[in-house]
Amino acid sequence: MLNAYIAHTIGVHTGLGFWGLVPVVIAVSLLLGLLIEFVLIRPMIGEPTISIVMMTVGLAVFIRSLVVLVWGAAPLEFSASPGDIVLSLGPVRLYLAQAIAIGLLLAIMAGFAVFYRYTRSGIAMRAAANDETVALLMGIDVRRIYALAWVLAASTAGLAGLLISTIYELGPDMSAFGLRGFPATILGGLDAVGGSAAGGFIIGILENLGEGYVGRGLKEIIGFVIILVVLMIRPFGLFGTRNVERV
Amino acid sequence: MLEVENLQVVYNNAIEAVRNASLTVGVGGMTALLGANGAGKTTLLKAISGVLYPEDGSIRDGLIKFEGHDLTSLAPDEIVRLGIAHVPEGRRLFIELTVEENLVVGGHIAERADVARRLEEIYALFPRIKDKRAVLSGYLSGGEQQMVAIGRALMTNPRLLMLDEPSLGIAPLMAQAIYAAVERLCRDNGLTVLLVEQNAQLALDASRQAYVLENGRVVLDGTSDELKRNEDVCEFYLGLGAKGDRRSMREVKHYKRRKRWLS
Repeated sequence: MLNAYIAHTIGVHTGLGFWGLVPVVIAVSLLLGLLIEFVLIRPMIGEPTISIVMMTVGLAVFIRSLVVLVWGAAPLEFSASPGDIVLSLGPVRLYLAQAIAIGLLLAIMAGFAVFYRYTRSGIAMRAAANDETVALLMGIDVRRIYALAWVLAASTAGLAGLLISTIYELGPDMSAFGLRGFPATILGGLDAVGGSAAGGFIIGILENLGEGYVGRGLKEIIGFVIILVVLMIRPFGLFGTRNVERV
Repeated sequence: MLEVENLQVVYNNAIEAVRNASLTVGVGGMTALLGANGAGKTTLLKAISGVLYPEDGSIRDGLIKFEGHDLTSLAPDEIVRLGIAHVPEGRRLFIELTVEENLVVGGHIAERADVARRLEEIYALFPRIKDKRAVLSGYLSGGEQQMVAIGRALMTNPRLLMLDEPSLGIAPLMAQAIYAAVERLCRDNGLTVLLVEQNAQLALDASRQAYVLENGRVVLDGTSDELKRNEDVCEFYLGLGAKGDRRSMREVKHYKRRKRWLS
């Protein structure tokens, strides 16, 4: 969200278009990600996961307030959006920005799949997630791997912020999107790269159908209702792997 | 090659796991570290490879020197780069990764071109795992997992290999095959091995020199042949009476069964 606001400011002041802003957003997110990793995450290594999660939730609240303080609570118009062109694919009509979002999603997903399967850093990252101590014994600098993971996540999130603000509007309420991404990840499986994307589609469709057929207000909670069910039946998500176990 | 001097390791600032331990590992061949459960063998290996801190352990006192470098102040990845590889107890493979990916992780610090060549060397050493290179390593049998664990450590191109109970939970024939492979590496490639083992017979047969640890202290050391003839080692580690024949524990008064090396 912070990234999107910064992108908005840069866009307003420099007159860059949407595509010009993409690399800018990635660069800004990288730097912010590194800063946050260094100042806040690094001292937390070795603490229980839940403390780190709580810390990031706190950070999200802080950033939200910071944004209201600096840019105000009123939604802003994003001048650099790709425009209101409507693409027609048969019966389906999409805004250009939505099509770009889908395209970028596929590209990023493919990128991550290749990264995790074939590059040495990607394999090392999976190894570090699997067993941190042994990763250290293999000569992997686990701190650097964490930093890399954090930076990748931050730049993906920054890009998502830019896309959301061009499709919807730029306002402090954007932070709710992060919360809505969470059920998508659980549904798809925490460790499945394409899983979260598929989970996102399913949740998105169900949110809108639920609101249309059942009633207003269901949109925000239906995702969580679904993960409740999923966690009961398939705790590892739709596409996640079961625990590896010898039989 | 490796010198440990008066090492003291403490967990949680309270529990002393290793006390005043000193040992020397010479270049080439195998050195064995024997001792009962909780004697501090594994802790000693962790201290050498620098991975005590995830378990709230720390080195209180003493020196660990490897070819002139002081290891006590180095990070684990720097220690690996110096040429020390540690195969942890219980294999600890990355079970969600395939066999080949496990080995590639071991090659993390190597040059890109070396990785492919070393992979072939490992597969030549352990042909059994070559057929399973694309299998998730968590599904392998215990012996095969141990081969992958040793192969993964060898990928870092070590000069000192530390093995923590390589025969744990493995069929005797498999254990022998693994020992044979490690002995071949010592002989042909000049690898030095520091071995921690519960199976004293296996360890003393394979090693040149051995240390016995009890309650965190080195209580006995010497060449493996000397230790094999030592009366106490025979009785407590090899299960033989002083005369070399099997002895029934029923004949020993219960308070005499547990021997203290030092009073």
